[in-house]
Amino acid sequence: MTKSKFIVVLAGNANVGKSVIFNHLTGLHQHIGNWPGKTVGKAEGTLHFRGYTIDIIDLPGIYSLSTFSIEELISREYIAVETPDLVINVVDASVLERNLFFTLQLMELEAPMVIALNQVDMAEKKGIEINYKKLEKTLGVPVIPTVAIRGTGVYELLQRCVETIEKGGEKPSRMKYGEEIEKRIKGLSEIVKKVHYPYPARWTAIKLLEKDEQVEREIREVKPEIVSAAEKFAEEIEEIHGHSCSTVITSERYEIAGYIAREVQHVVPPIKPPMRERLHALTTHRILGYLIMAVLLLSIFYSIFTFGDYTSGLLSDLFYCLEPIFESIFGAGIAGELIWGGIMGGIIAGVAIALPYIIPFYLVLYFLEDSGYLSRIAFLLDNVMHMIGLHGKAFIPVMLSFGCNVPGCLGCRIMETERERLLTAFVVTLVPCAATTVIILGLVGTFVGVQWALALYIIDLVIIFLLGRLAFKALPGEPTALMMEMHDYRVPHLQTVLRQTLFRLMEFIKMAFPLIIVGSLLIKLAEVMDLLNPIASALSPMTVTWLGLPAITGIALIFGVLRKELTLIMLATLFGTTNFAQVPNFGPVQMIVFTLVTMLYIPCIATIAALVREFGWKKALFITVFEIVFAILIGGIAFRLLMLA
Amino acid sequence: MELRLTDLRDGESGIITSIKMGHGRGHREHRGAGRRWGFRKRLEDMGLTPGTRVTVVKSAPFRGPLEVYVRGSRLAIGRRMAERIFVEVKK
Repeated sequence: MTKSKFIVVLAGNANVGKSVIFNHLTGLHQHIGNWPGKTVGKAEGTLHFRGYTIDIIDLPGIYSLSTFSIEELISREYIAVETPDLVINVVDASVLERNLFFTLQLMELEAPMVIALNQVDMAEKKGIEINYKKLEKTLGVPVIPTVAIRGTGVYELLQRCVETIEKGGEKPSRMKYGEEIEKRIKGLSEIVKKVHYPYPARWTAIKLLEKDEQVEREIREVKPEIVSAAEKFAEEIEEIHGHSCSTVITSERYEIAGYIAREVQHVVPPIKPPMRERLHALTTHRILGYLIMAVLLLSIFYSIFTFGDYTSGLLSDLFYCLEPIFESIFGAGIAGELIWGGIMGGIIAGVAIALPYIIPFYLVLYFLEDSGYLSRIAFLLDNVMHMIGLHGKAFIPVMLSFGCNVPGCLGCRIMETERERLLTAFVVTLVPCAATTVIILGLVGTFVGVQWALALYIIDLVIIFLLGRLAFKALPGEPTALMMEMHDYRVPHLQTVLRQTLFRLMEFIKMAFPLIIVGSLLIKLAEVMDLLNPIASALSPMTVTWLGLPAITGIALIFGVLRKELTLIMLATLFGTTNFAQVPNFGPVQMIVFTLVTMLYIPCIATIAALVREFGWKKALFITVFEIVFAILIGGIAFRLLMLA
Repeated sequence: MELRLTDLRDGESGIITSIKMGHGRGHREHRGAGRRWGFRKRLEDMGLTPGTRVTVVKSAPFRGPLEVYVRGSRLAIGRRMAERIFVEVKK
């Protein structure tokens, strides 16, 4: 080996500690982005070891290498086509059988690999002891026991990785299926070998027998006879076993995994059910589970809002102390206005308004995720989410959205299919975020009454429910169902949680800040050029005639595009008072209508940016336009109804 | 006796006989990756293959998802999907 630069990928099931190992290996030299053209996160990092430069790529956590999800496709394509120098397969020692099922598939890709047998401490607590030397011999792959959260074994892992690469990266052993299947795999690989295809011939043959859509399509383009031969073989296997060929192969693979697991592990289950089992039973209990969840979520929301509100105020004050400094540098003229009100205004909006809510939200989210509680929430709320055509997992992005719609949109990635991602994103943009809550409470709650503020919140939830159902019916495709592993509870790894928060935050800043600043600058420009009043009059058919609001509110609504709470701030500026009760023509009815429209009318500019990034311009534009039209429609109807009352 | 997984009471277990998918031939297939085998494949990949013992630990109230124990791990399966899993139970 003369190369000094290697590429190593981390692969494994979800929640096996892959990202913890990734963090240990790469430290802060990480780069978080997306896979080209895909809405799947990609984490990359670099490390230097014994004179080598090693690029480490963290593949998404998956259970199989079929075509079920984009994540699975990306992973197998990367391993086969980009041919990394080594694959580190992270395996959860406490759920060996399921993990080995994935290991066997990785081995079929014939990439050189090393196994990190992780969470051996958890396994021990469950009374599982693993003879890793025996596992190593059976698989023909180096196995290193690790406890990633404590850093145990990570150095040895790295050493073995480099040694394996230096030795020239041997291919792992070949696992054998039943004779009748093996015979056909061999026959098929012989003809597959004759065509040029990036995947190993044996793997391709197995996938053809499994009727893998992508492989079938690609091979058919080169040589359709191979696919017909595979179909014939598959039928023969189906006849022998009485199940579809893909079922037979999956079954056998699991049988092998199960056999190996039983051979290498010794299980003595603890007599007393351990704490985490009792915690699991409690938190998924049909009554107590919901109670615990309600108390936990409400206290989380309450603390985040209290913290956010306080910090936000503090930061705003701090920033406005800078105003005189800016004025002294740039003057009070148009340039000064643009720089302070435009550019700085945007930055202040981002830092002082968004971050105090987003940071704690991300922290709590990753904390809950890492501990395993999020999957319990998904379990408990699955049928609630089904009412709007989604399943339990969708609760997570929806929950995030109550803080800010942007992480909510980004959080839609946890949904499996493109359709679910889009549906969830649509629902997410209708959720009242922290800023919307500020308006509901600050305007309606203060000047009309708390019961009306609550009513608005409930109306919003009803609208989400109805529109969600409608979108669910309108979007083509099959509804999907919940299907997830609920891994054991564990103490979250603080460093990983902090890093995930940090990197997601950077992502948010990079994406949202430029837009917020440009938007802020544009609106300031319109103000400086005296365009606001003409715009307000142009909007008056909508604002005055249809919604029954003072014309001036049109300006506030435009500012709301930037960030929703600006509508309130602008109202105060435009009316020249914060005591809205004194404003003529702006009674309780107008306040309610105004809040209702603000609540629904547009995802703010940062959310639109998130939508564009995740779903492209067309879909983002559609959602935005739909919500504006819908909000105005509802606002007008509400105005007429309230006038009647 | 062959039952649907959803017919099992909490704590009962059975051996998977088959997973029946789709609403017959006329059903519109989903576009995009892998829908053709779709969820049967997904269930099998998660370890719910014919011949496997599966235990229903409990189900969430109001026809919620099932918590099952299979191959040494714990899964949550939406009810509509669980209804399609058939198991053999000794009675």
